[in-house]
Amino acid sequence: MRVSAKGVGKSYRGAGAEPVRVLEGIDLEAGDGEIVAVVGASGSGKSTLLNILGLLEPLDTGEVWFGPERVSHLPRRAQARVRGRAIGYVFQSFLLIERLTALDNVALAARYVARDQATARREAVEWMERLGVAHRREHFPSQLSGGEQQRVAFCRAVLNRPPLLLADEPTGNLDDEHARVILSELGAQARERGTTVLLVTHRAEAAATADRSVRLVAGRLAPPAGATGPVA
Amino acid sequence: MVAASEPAPRRALRALRRLVPRGYLFTVLGIAVGVAGLVSLGAMAERITRFIDGGDRFVLGQISVAGEGMGMGAGFTAGGLLRAAKIQEIAAVQGVATVQPQVMLPLSTSTSHFLTLTQELVVGMDPGAPMANRHYRELPVRAGRFLRPGDRGVAVVGADFALSRDLAVGAKLPIAGTEFAVVGVLDKTLTAPDRFAIVPLEDARDLWLRRDPLLIQVFRGGGFTRADLNSGAAVAWQPDQDPDALARRIQAAVRGVNVTVPGELSKLLRQSTAFFSALLLGMGVLGLVIGGLSLSNTVTAAVFERIRDFGVKRALGATDGDLLREVVGEALGVSLWGSAAGVGIALGIGALVDSRVIRQGQQLFLFSPRLLAFALAFAVVLGLLAATYATLRIVRLSPAEAIRRGA
Repeated sequence: MRVSAKGVGKSYRGAGAEPVRVLEGIDLEAGDGEIVAVVGASGSGKSTLLNILGLLEPLDTGEVWFGPERVSHLPRRAQARVRGRAIGYVFQSFLLIERLTALDNVALAARYVARDQATARREAVEWMERLGVAHRREHFPSQLSGGEQQRVAFCRAVLNRPPLLLADEPTGNLDDEHARVILSELGAQARERGTTVLLVTHRAEAAATADRSVRLVAGRLAPPAGATGPVA
Repeated sequence: MVAASEPAPRRALRALRRLVPRGYLFTVLGIAVGVAGLVSLGAMAERITRFIDGGDRFVLGQISVAGEGMGMGAGFTAGGLLRAAKIQEIAAVQGVATVQPQVMLPLSTSTSHFLTLTQELVVGMDPGAPMANRHYRELPVRAGRFLRPGDRGVAVVGADFALSRDLAVGAKLPIAGTEFAVVGVLDKTLTAPDRFAIVPLEDARDLWLRRDPLLIQVFRGGGFTRADLNSGAAVAWQPDQDPDALARRIQAAVRGVNVTVPGELSKLLRQSTAFFSALLLGMGVLGLVIGGLSLSNTVTAAVFERIRDFGVKRALGATDGDLLREVVGEALGVSLWGSAAGVGIALGIGALVDSRVIRQGQQLFLFSPRLLAFALAFAVVLGLLAATYATLRIVRLSPAEAIRRGA
């Protein structure tokens, strides 16, 4: 799925404080099966950009398009449906729900998209087997290691086969071995299913797995540093 | 799978944990505390209400007449000696259906005679005469039987009277040196008869004579018979008679008696119990405020605690309606569990306290079905409102903001 950001801007307003401009005039495109890494220093607006592209946060200016659909201006309910149907999220802090088992966390992705729940649970187990966490399916998040939690979160993100995967520092809390597993799976989704992947990272080795990288500097896209290719 | 060798208490605890949704145990306990407070205070208010209503019902069911001249006297009739001739005069007043002579004596002469509503009384009745009180045509007997014509040396006791002395049918009840055989125990009425020992009128007259040396002097002077020994009488009216008007007619027609006008006495009773009415109103309001605040605060906090989960679920495609349905469903379950536990705690506290005070012939709590139904409904409705309010507050946030705040 082609994802386009056109002139995206965002400010945060504190109580009584001057608005802080976080993003300004962002134009970005990612095509089918493309992995785009968004890199930049802390506070440069990477996560905010990913949240806006993932419809987790409203933008102040600009537009976001998924293919031919301008999703940034859809009503709340329609945006919720787009999130469930078209987007998978992998967060740095996993964001698993503590009171659900690993399997229930994965299957939760199917609850809000009108899928057959039995089928979804079966597929959830298959994904967990693929990621090597099926034996932990009845455990709660607090009983899992960081690497296991991120693999469970990854299973949840891909369960509905979304055409867009958004990964915000997905390896930030993982050791090298587990980081490689997650990056490898993200690459596999792009190659095997044509999933568009937007990857926010500050790790060079993670950015190196992307087809191209863009750099954010103080809320603006920096001019391309030469041709397309990994950012060192 | 649970091992067969696992002890029963642990199995029960595991079963309970499975029934209560994970992560909600403290929410359930918080609700339980609030509901327990509400139900306990409500049960005390119910008890007082029932007592006052019972007294009111009693005084509105008969015209009470007492002899004049002995001050406060004993019992509800609150008068002095009501001689047989006066009873005949009363019976002759137009509109009077029956007159039932009575003797009411405080069981313990050391206690104040003024507190007759809460005092243990010996009530002498003529088993052959029909009950004059139209609201108490017969007193409900839980065990044994009521008095019969010709009975002597027997007693029928009220529920609290029996409980405080471990009395059952067949037991012996000594009163002022005379031993009475208990032939019946009344059902609980939650008002004055619960503390009565009802004996045949002739036995009550004997007790009165033995207790009051002045009366013996009066009898020695001559001119009195045992039939004159009445502390009062209950008067029943004929159908279509206005009891208040009839009471005034009796007062006008019969000299030397004190007649209570049912309507006025009821008003007086209400006025004298105004403090209790205010107290129970305060208890009810206090129960609602304490229980309501505790419950709504617990549920609201439980929902706000899950703000991050809501953000995650919205990221997964949940709409506002999806979240509201989930939260309301969970709040319903948790409120029901919490309120059931709260009712259980209140019942336990009530049973414990009442088991202590029953020795003094008292009962502090009345857990009526309407109170329990109200408490459950109140908890569920308030739980749902609190959950809905908190959810609506949360869904106003963007998913990213909810995740950030819940982090």
